[in-house]
Amino acid sequence: MPRGVDRVLKTLQEIVGRDYASNEEAILMPYSFDLTWNEPRMPDYVVMPKTVEEVQRVLSFANRERIPVVPYVSSTNIGGLCIPEEGGIVLDLRRMNRIIKIDTETHYAVIEPGVSHAQFSRELKKVGFEFGWGVHPASASVLAMTLQHGIGHLNGRFGVNSQFISSMEVVLPTGEVCKIGSCAYSDEWHSLLPLPMLAGLFIGWLGTTGVVTKLGVWITRIRPYKDVLTIAAEDAESMTKYMVMWRDLELCDEITAVSWWLAQIPIPYPYQEKPPDAPEWFSYTVISGWSEEELEYKRKMWKEVVAKARQKGCKLIDFEYPPEAKRGRTELPSRIVGSTKNYSKSCGGGLAWPGTFTPAKNWPILYEKMKEIYIKHGLSPATRFTDYRGAHYGMWRVMTPFDKRNPEAVWHARQAMREVVEVGVKAGMIPYKPPVDYWNVMNAHADPGWLMLLCKIKDCLDPNHIMNPGKLGIR
Amino acid sequence: MALPLSKDVARKYPELASLYDHLMMCTHCGNCRYFYEYRPDVNLSAPNCLSGEYFYFDSYTASRGKNAVLKGVLSGRIPFDEKAAHVIFACTTCMACREMCETDVKDWLNRLFETARREAWKNNIGIPAGIKKWSEHIKVEHNPYLEKHADRFAWLPADIRNSLPKKAEYVYFVGCTASYRQKNIALATVELFRKLGIDFTIAVDGDGEWCCGSPALRTGQWDTAKELAEHNAQVLDKYGDKVITTCAGCFRTLIQDYQKEAPEGYKDVLGIDFNMPVIHTMQLLAELIDKGEVEFQELPEFAGKVFVYHDPCHLGRHVGVYDEPRKVLNSFKGIKVVEAERSRQWSWCCGAGGGVRSGFPDFSLWASKVRLEEFKELGAEIVTSACPFCWRNLDDASKMFSFNLPVYDLAEIAAKAVVKKK
Ligand SMILES: Cc1cc2nc3c(=O)[nH]c(=O)nc-3n(C[C@H](O)[C@H](O)[C@H](O)COP(=O)(O)OP(=O)(O)OC[C@H]3O[C@@H](n4cnc5c(N)ncnc54)[C@H](O)[C@@H]3O)c2cc1C
Repeated sequence: MPRGVDRVLKTLQEIVGRDYASNEEAILMPYSFDLTWNEPRMPDYVVMPKTVEEVQRVLSFANRERIPVVPYVSSTNIGGLCIPEEGGIVLDLRRMNRIIKIDTETHYAVIEPGVSHAQFSRELKKVGFEFGWGVHPASASVLAMTLQHGIGHLNGRFGVNSQFISSMEVVLPTGEVCKIGSCAYSDEWHSLLPLPMLAGLFIGWLGTTGVVTKLGVWITRIRPYKDVLTIAAEDAESMTKYMVMWRDLELCDEITAVSWWLAQIPIPYPYQEKPPDAPEWFSYTVISGWSEEELEYKRKMWKEVVAKARQKGCKLIDFEYPPEAKRGRTELPSRIVGSTKNYSKSCGGGLAWPGTFTPAKNWPILYEKMKEIYIKHGLSPATRFTDYRGAHYGMWRVMTPFDKRNPEAVWHARQAMREVVEVGVKAGMIPYKPPVDYWNVMNAHADPGWLMLLCKIKDCLDPNHIMNPGKLGIR
Repeated sequence: MALPLSKDVARKYPELASLYDHLMMCTHCGNCRYFYEYRPDVNLSAPNCLSGEYFYFDSYTASRGKNAVLKGVLSGRIPFDEKAAHVIFACTTCMACREMCETDVKDWLNRLFETARREAWKNNIGIPAGIKKWSEHIKVEHNPYLEKHADRFAWLPADIRNSLPKKAEYVYFVGCTASYRQKNIALATVELFRKLGIDFTIAVDGDGEWCCGSPALRTGQWDTAKELAEHNAQVLDKYGDKVITTCAGCFRTLIQDYQKEAPEGYKDVLGIDFNMPVIHTMQLLAELIDKGEVEFQELPEFAGKVFVYHDPCHLGRHVGVYDEPRKVLNSFKGIKVVEAERSRQWSWCCGAGGGVRSGFPDFSLWASKVRLEEFKELGAEIVTSACPFCWRNLDDASKMFSFNLPVYDLAEIAAKAVVKKK
C-alpha cells in the first residue's frame, strides 16, 4: 500500500531516478523500527541518492515542502535514531559508498556515508592501515559511527572515533553544500585545526543539522605485534581501580572489563544468578608494538600494575582468555565479537543499552545501583567498562537483550534503562546515541544555557525543523 | 517496541504465523547484509545479496529486510500485498545471508521465505507471472519447462536406454533441466558412468522419474511438491539402492527436503518416508580419485586454459559440498585453476534458483552477469560448475552480454577426460 503524496514521490523520483524512491509500505517497513524498544514509526518515503547533488536537491525540496528527512545507512545505532518520529523521508545513503581516497603518506582517508566497516577495513588492510573498529555488524557505516562519537578498538590509544575526524563535506538542511576543515581550502583532508571547529555543528547531532556527504578521517598503521592480557576481579571497584592504574601509563590500545553476565554467550535472558564461585568481572587489555621487545616491555609494566593493584587491595583473580576470544580482539573488525550472537541471539529480537560516557570513579557506584534496577526488572546486568584516552572516563554500558514478542518484556527493558539514566545523569553519566527517552531525562537536568544554545544552533541551521525532528528532545 | 503477533493475521496466514517465534529471533542487526571475514589469511568484504544489490531498498536486502517485511505483516502493521510478495519472491534463496547470520533465526530463513511464498499462493497475492506460467503444467507433465513427460528421456540414445538394467546400485536422477534443456550434461553423466563402469540405471519407465519438486517447493507450491515427492519416493527404490544426481537442485531436495526433519527440511510437509542415500556425481568422482581408481588425461582443447569453479548454492551453502568439485577440477591435467574471492560459502549466486529465473528473468541474468564479470577480472577463460541450472543461467548471460566465456559442467569435462585405472 502506498503512503504519502504522489506529487512528492514523483519529485523525489525525478531527483534520484524512478527505482530509487518509493512510498510502498512493504518497502518502508524495515525503516520504521530498529533493534531497540523505541516505538516504530513509518516513514512516508524512502529515497536513495547517489550523488551530493541529489542530496542537495532532496533537502532543498524537503525544506521547501517542510517534509522531515532522516539520514540513514544501516540503523544499527541502538538508539532508535533513524526511526522517523514524524514520518517524512528516510534518506538511505547506502548507495553513496565510495572510498574516495586513502592517503598513506599523510595518514588520512576520505569516505562517503555508505562505506561499511567491512569495505573500509579491507581497503585499509591492503595498505597496512587501520581505523578504530567497533564490535558492530560489519555492514554498518563508518561515517555514521564516527560522526556519532563511535567507539573503536583504539580508544585507549587515541580516544573516541570522532576525535579522528579530519575534515568533512556537509549538505545543510536548506540544500547548500559546505566543506569544513582543510578541505575547504584545498583537496587535502588532513585537519580540522587550526580553523574554527565548525565540524562540531554536525558531530554528535544525530543527523539533526545536516547530511555529511564526505568525511576525512585519520588512519593509523597496523602494528605488527599484538597481545591480549587478561585478568578477572571479584568486584567492580577492584576492576575499576586496576583499569585506571593501567590506563594511566598510556601503554594500551584498549582496556575493557565486562561483568559475568556480559561474558556469557549469549547474555542470560531473563536474569540468571551468577554462580557464587565465578568472578564478577573479567577484563582484557590489548597491547601492540613495533617489535617483540616493545610488547615485552608493555607486558612487564602490566604485570607491575597488577601487582601494585593487588597491594592496594584490589581483589584481582588470574584468568586466561580462550584463544578464539583473543583472536577476536586482535583481528578486528571481527565476526567473533562483532555480532549479535554475543548479546541477543535467542531472546526474541530486542537489543538496547544505556550506553554512556561516565567518569571512571563513578562506574562501580552506578553499577551497584543499576544492578538493583535491572534485577528488579528481570534483566541481566551485562555491563561493560572501557577507559578511553583523555581523562579517566569512558564507556559504562549495559547490553540488554529483551523479547519483542511480549509487550510486558519490552516495557520492563525500556523502564529499566530509563531508571538507570535517571540515576546516572546526576553522577556524570552522559548517554551516547541517546534515544528520545534518554534526552527527556537528560534535558530535565541540563544547564538552561546549554539547551538554549542547542536550540539556537538548530534553528539557525534548520529553520524549518526538517532534519530528524524529535531527536535530541528539542524542537 | 513490541511486535506481537496479530491474531487476525495469524488466522489469515496460519503457516507463516506458526514460524513467528523463529522469525522474532532476528534482531534486525544487519550482519547478514554483507560478506565479511577477516583473518590473517583472509581479507574478504563483498556484497552478498543479489536482490539487495539489484532492487536496492532495505526490504530486498538480505534476510534482515525480508524478515522486517514478514514482521510487519505478522504484527499487522502492513498488509501482505503485491509489493510484499514482490520482495519475498525476488530472492533466489541462495542463503548467502544465512551464512552471515549469527542469531537463532538462521536455521529457519529458507523455510520462512518459502512459507511466505506458500501463503502468497494460498491467498493469490503477487505471484510472478513467469512462475504461474508453469505451475499447472508441472502438475500434469511433471516438469516446469512446459514439455511433455513422454519426452523426458528423449535425449537418451535408444541403445543405452535398452541396455539399462531394471535395478542397479545407483539410480541416476537426471532432473528436469538436464532432461529437457542441458541434455549435454545428462549425456555426459551417462557417458561418465559408463566409462567408469558404474552399476547404474535411470527411472525411465512411463511412471519413472518426475521432477524432484524443487521448483515447486522453493516457490511455495507445496501441494504440487508433495505429489511429485510422493511419486519419486515410491518409485526410486525400485530402481536402485542409492540415488546419484548431477543437478545441485535435485541433490538438495532429495538429500534434505525429502529426508531431513525441520527446520530446513520438508518431511513434515512432504510426508514421505524416503531413506535412500543420495550423492552428487562430484562426490562419487572425488571418492574414486581419492582411492586412486580414476585419473584424467589432458585434453588438447583445454591445454593451458584458466578454469574457475562456480559453487552452486544448492550444492555448496545448502548442503556443504565444496571440496569434492574442486578435487575433480584440480585433477584435470594441463589446465590452470583460479579461485574467485567470492567462492565456497562466500559465493555469489548465479541468480537462477528460487523461481527467480522464471519470475524475474532480467534480474536473474544480471546476477550471472555480475558473476561473469568477476570471473573475467580474475582472468578465467573457462567457467565450470556442477549444476545444470547454474550452467544455463551463466551460459545465457555469457552469450547475451558477449563475455565469450564458455561454460562447462565438470561432469562434461570429466566424461571426456576420464581414464579408469582399476
Ligand atoms: C551488536 C552491535 C554492536 C555495536 N557495537 C558498537 C561499537 O563497538 N562501537 C560503536 O561505535 N557502535 C557500535 N554499535 C552501534 C552502531 O553499529 C554503529 O555506531 C554504526 O556504525 C552505525 O552505523 P549505521 O550504518 O547503522 O548508522 P545509522 O544507524 O544508520 O545512523 C546513525 C546516526 O547517524 C545519522 N547519520 C547517518 N548518516 C549520516 C550522515 N551522512 N550525515 C549526518 N547524519 C547521519 C543517522 O541519522 C543516525 O542518527 C553497535 C551496534 C550493534 C548492533
